[in-house]
Amino acid sequence: MSVTPQDTASGPLPLRVKRFRRPRRNLAIPPLRGLLPLIIGLVLWQVLSHGQSAYYPRPSLWWEGIEHEWQSGALKPAIEATLKSFLLALVISTVLGTLLGILIGRARRVDRALGPFLEFCRFLPAAAVVPIAVLAAGYTEKMKIFVVVFAGIWPILLQVRSSVRSQSPLLLDVARSLHLSRERTLRQVMLPSLVPSIMLGLRVAAPIILVVVLLVEIVTQVQGIGSLISTAQKTFDAATAYGLLAIVGVIGIAVNALLAALEGWLLRYRPDGS
Amino acid sequence: MEEKVTVAAPGAKAADSAIFACLGLGIEFDTPNGPHRVLDAVDLSVAPGEFVSIVGQSGTGKSTLLRILGGLERPAAGSSVRHRGQEVTEPPEGVLMVFQDYRGSLLPWRTVEKNVMLGIEKSTSGAERKERCQEALELVGLADRANDHPWRLSGGMQQRVQIARSLAMRPEVLLMDEPFGALDAMTKEQLQDELLSVHAATGATIVFVTHDIEEAIYLSDRVLVLAGAPARVTEELTIELPRPRDQMRTKELPDYLRLRQTAYTALRGSGAGGH
Amino acid sequence: MATEAVPQPRPARRSRHVRVPLNVSGILFLLGLAAVWQLAMSTGLLTSSFLPEPWEIGKSIGDLTGSGELTSNLWHTVYVTLVGWALAGLIGVAFGLAIGLYSKVWRYSMASTEFLRALPGIAFVPVAVLLYGFSVKMELIVVTYVSIWPVLVNTVHGVRQVTVLHDDVARMLRMSRLERIRRFTIPTTAPYVAVGLQVSLSLSLALALVAEMVGNPTGVGQALIVAQNTFHPEEMFAYVIVIGFVGVLLNWAFVKMIERGFPGTLSLDGEQR
Repeated sequence: MSVTPQDTASGPLPLRVKRFRRPRRNLAIPPLRGLLPLIIGLVLWQVLSHGQSAYYPRPSLWWEGIEHEWQSGALKPAIEATLKSFLLALVISTVLGTLLGILIGRARRVDRALGPFLEFCRFLPAAAVVPIAVLAAGYTEKMKIFVVVFAGIWPILLQVRSSVRSQSPLLLDVARSLHLSRERTLRQVMLPSLVPSIMLGLRVAAPIILVVVLLVEIVTQVQGIGSLISTAQKTFDAATAYGLLAIVGVIGIAVNALLAALEGWLLRYRPDGS
Repeated sequence: MEEKVTVAAPGAKAADSAIFACLGLGIEFDTPNGPHRVLDAVDLSVAPGEFVSIVGQSGTGKSTLLRILGGLERPAAGSSVRHRGQEVTEPPEGVLMVFQDYRGSLLPWRTVEKNVMLGIEKSTSGAERKERCQEALELVGLADRANDHPWRLSGGMQQRVQIARSLAMRPEVLLMDEPFGALDAMTKEQLQDELLSVHAATGATIVFVTHDIEEAIYLSDRVLVLAGAPARVTEELTIELPRPRDQMRTKELPDYLRLRQTAYTALRGSGAGGH
Repeated sequence: MATEAVPQPRPARRSRHVRVPLNVSGILFLLGLAAVWQLAMSTGLLTSSFLPEPWEIGKSIGDLTGSGELTSNLWHTVYVTLVGWALAGLIGVAFGLAIGLYSKVWRYSMASTEFLRALPGIAFVPVAVLLYGFSVKMELIVVTYVSIWPVLVNTVHGVRQVTVLHDDVARMLRMSRLERIRRFTIPTTAPYVAVGLQVSLSLSLALALVAEMVGNPTGVGQALIVAQNTFHPEEMFAYVIVIGFVGVLLNWAFVKMIERGFPGTLSLDGEQR
């Protein structure tokens, strides 16, 4: 990136300065022009796709497929179902994950005893839990939430546990020295100090939760976007399937962006954003 | 002359009037190599309103001693630690600790004002709380930074916030664990003088731990030298320098120099560093 | 099985940690849990339409292994997982390096990458079934596609950690491009790539299972669905426990492998750094 003559008050700079490179920076948000490949890809697809390709329909056909779903009254409730499950599971995972993380983090012996069991549960693929949940609770919302929470709780639990374990004893000393009650210590000192790690766990857990919600919907056909995609697959309606994929993509991006904003707001007292 | 803010309970019985009385105080910690005795046979007492410093080399156990006085550590069996005649088993009422790591002891998500309020929230009403906060902040000269977050303040200012937080609780005793150790020389001197004026204004008892002998002599009425392994009080110096103290003039007095020499010798003479 | 790092002993307040190579209390807990479960069901204290008794599960594992069913299903799933993962690793690292090393490429492609990454890969499974039918090919494509992203993103991030300072030092020491890559880029990037690979390994297993449950009549995923539909909960649990162990084992094996080359890089606990 060269320095243009207007940059200096006194005329153009000598040649050697013109070769100055801007140092590489880790930008938080990549430049929007990075969307170009995607956009170009879609445009090319639209233009080059000929006739009624069953497997690779044009993007415009996706829109038609989606519109049709909307008209038939299937899309809106499906989106609502997915989002509702997502939010519910998110809240439950956060609360449970934080509570368990604190409990396990504080009690060394419990931590060790539960260790292998937690490891096992953590690495158990969510898909494997689905059949069990179905046998136990049938094809219901409750079953869906159970599977999703089972999968989504780990990032938060582990992060909180780690944070509690490595917590500097200083803040607790301060609380004792100031004669704060146990309840106040927990509420006013310990929990706020855990907010950064809860947020970190949450940012990792949210995409997982979204994925598992869709997973359950695809595998069990309970109401939601996933089940619509599954139906589109079975009826060989590729256009609608792609369209639904796009919707899912938008939801994914929105979730990430909202969480990033939430983190920024919650941690606004930290100048370095750490 | 500022009005004295009364803190100490007046007219206590002579036998129980010592703020702290330690007899045969010892403590040991578990390590993989077996129990390690850090303090042994420490006897000391602190009178109300006194400014007492404890000096020693790094690692002797000064902080541990302070933490025992503050009820944050339990001493070994056979030790006696009394606060106003009562055995210390948990942080005693009216005794507050000021930690060396000021940044870590302030809550970053609270403003300066709310940080200062932390200790008094349960016991006072809204109006009184604000008043005490204001008073404490004025005592340390940070009244105008009440609504800032700690990260905006310099190290010295953050340490003052911590002190203000203790002052808001109107403590009888302040236990200070190398509070100025992490600050640069100029800020240190500034805070030393501020601490002296707080001491004069409130009449609180102060037990001050430091490895800086000059600081100890400059600030205190008495200096206790802690040395040896396990550590004990090897020397006790009574500082009869005139108050109010002054950074330039006090340090030029022949008495000051004599005390300094005695202290250094005591520290160096009693064993090659207390580890 | 959690080989937890022993905290450094310090002259501190708590009692010292005894160095045990085996997590005795952990194993006791698992055994105790199984024992209580079995007892509760044997005595009729606990009855359930879907929960089998532990010994039934054990017997089922024995039967399935004996008949060869378990082994063949397991082998299929693990095979697809590892092949897909390896492919994803290669592609992810290759593209990750390209995007990370050349800022121009990064500027003109990172946003797209972020978008595609945010798109939940699971949604591609039905699409893949539509396009490629019920086949191993479909399974592999799904596993590979989804597993690329953690590796790619982490590689990009790792490469970009090679700071300007490293650049300056390398230039000052007049290092050739190749030397610079060997001495700075690779050691800095490697841990990030390792973490990406670790994450995508779990992902590969998960996606293989889903693909099998939705569209490929072989493998553990399919066996789980069959067991569910024919109402054989003991078979189901048998498979769940086996695949659970496989998941833990794969992760452990990978971490051990990496530890030899780059100690301290990965944590078994999954803590984010």
